[in-house]
Amino acid sequence: MNEENAPKPLFSGVIYGEFAFWLAVIGSAIAIIGMMIYFSGNQFFDAQGLLNGLWSGQTAEEIWRNASATKEVIHGHWYLDYLTTSDGIAMLGIGVSCLAGVFGAWGSFLVMVTKKDNPTVFMVFAGLISLLLTASAFGLITMH
Amino acid sequence: MISKFLNRHQGGLRIVRTILLIVIGAAAGFGAVYAAEGTDTFGLSPLTFFIVLTLVCTLIGVFAVLAGVGGGVIFTPLFMGFTPIDSYIVRSTGLFVAMVGALVAARPFLRKGIANIRLLYTGAVPYAVFAVIGSLLAGYMNTALGPTGESFIQGALGVIVIAIGVLFIVKKNTEYPEVANVDGFTQKMDLPMPYFEDSLGKVVNYKLVRAPVALLLFCGVGLISGLFGLGAGWAMVPVFNMVMLAPLKVAATCSKVMISIGDTAAIWPYIQGGGMFPLFAVPSMIGLVIGTLIGSRIMLRVKAGFIRPLIIIVMFGAGIRLIMKAFS
Repeated sequence: MNEENAPKPLFSGVIYGEFAFWLAVIGSAIAIIGMMIYFSGNQFFDAQGLLNGLWSGQTAEEIWRNASATKEVIHGHWYLDYLTTSDGIAMLGIGVSCLAGVFGAWGSFLVMVTKKDNPTVFMVFAGLISLLLTASAFGLITMH
Repeated sequence: MISKFLNRHQGGLRIVRTILLIVIGAAAGFGAVYAAEGTDTFGLSPLTFFIVLTLVCTLIGVFAVLAGVGGGVIFTPLFMGFTPIDSYIVRSTGLFVAMVGALVAARPFLRKGIANIRLLYTGAVPYAVFAVIGSLLAGYMNTALGPTGESFIQGALGVIVIAIGVLFIVKKNTEYPEVANVDGFTQKMDLPMPYFEDSLGKVVNYKLVRAPVALLLFCGVGLISGLFGLGAGWAMVPVFNMVMLAPLKVAATCSKVMISIGDTAAIWPYIQGGGMFPLFAVPSMIGLVIGTLIGSRIMLRVKAGFIRPLIIIVMFGAGIRLIMKAFS
């Protein structure tokens, strides 16, 4: 069998790869732009304070108390309320990258449902993964 | 419809990709210039920290590719063992860099059909569930157990890292394992999906075995990945290749895509817990991605066999250091 007759990759897989790649790249670009602004000022976390905290072994909570604009830990998607700050934008970029797998899984699941290119059991697995990732991203699975 | 759109606009998408890469490069450059205004703290300004961290992570990325492992598995033990940075923050960032690397790498594997979507979704269910449990456990230990939890994490990770070093020495992957008998459960699952192998110029049809055992093992791998913030390719490839007898290429590509799924599930509890700081996460990510790209190019030109023993020594060193820190 030559390459022309080779089995075609399933679109449910291809769609996951496309979402994963592009959202990861876009998220990374946003994060780096945020860092560029971070160094010029308008910071949510004071750069010197944060560096001090990291380098002196402070816990995440201690760093939040000492270096953040709120002086207390904000659990959840804190950056959405601080998109006017540079590290809020950088964190948004990190968040977009972390959403890449969530969108990829949903895309893959929806293709499986509509194109029926896999046995039902794998559609169920893809659905379960999509729900789990979404619950995790929405903060439904958290200690706080 | 979407595949038609992607095929029709391949040229345009390439231009978008180039522009994004230029934006990333320019932004990193401008960031460095602006950062020059920072003042020193412990001998490091934010600029110095950003640049040094990017360079260190670039080196880690290069060495990781040459040694045939993911950057995350070296990043976390090194930073936990040899820097004073809090382990919860290191693990959170380690998980993030492993995830981003896997997300970017997944695309060509799925486009070529080498990564088996059935196999990886089957393994991803136990892996992702237990990765989330691991990350929740990490959050609990961080808030409730304080220094005791920190010591436990350091000691346990030290043992795991040494075990990974031993695994690198003893494991014998087989490119195309022979399968004699397929068990009933795995047969019923209908997991194998043939793919075209460029190097052989033919379609590879393969069989898989022992799916129930592999699913149990993925629970453990997920827990370790989520709790310690490690990429898990070092464990997943042997499970696919040595337990399920998948061809090595299928094992390696499936493990990469599964990391992108499982670590996506595990990363959010860390972010929600406030353990992610852009000043640490962004240069680590840039460095590891650049390092991986450089390493891939170097690998095509040089024999990189000498790197593997070096990485094994680094793993043993980091493991011993972590155990010492746990007992200090």
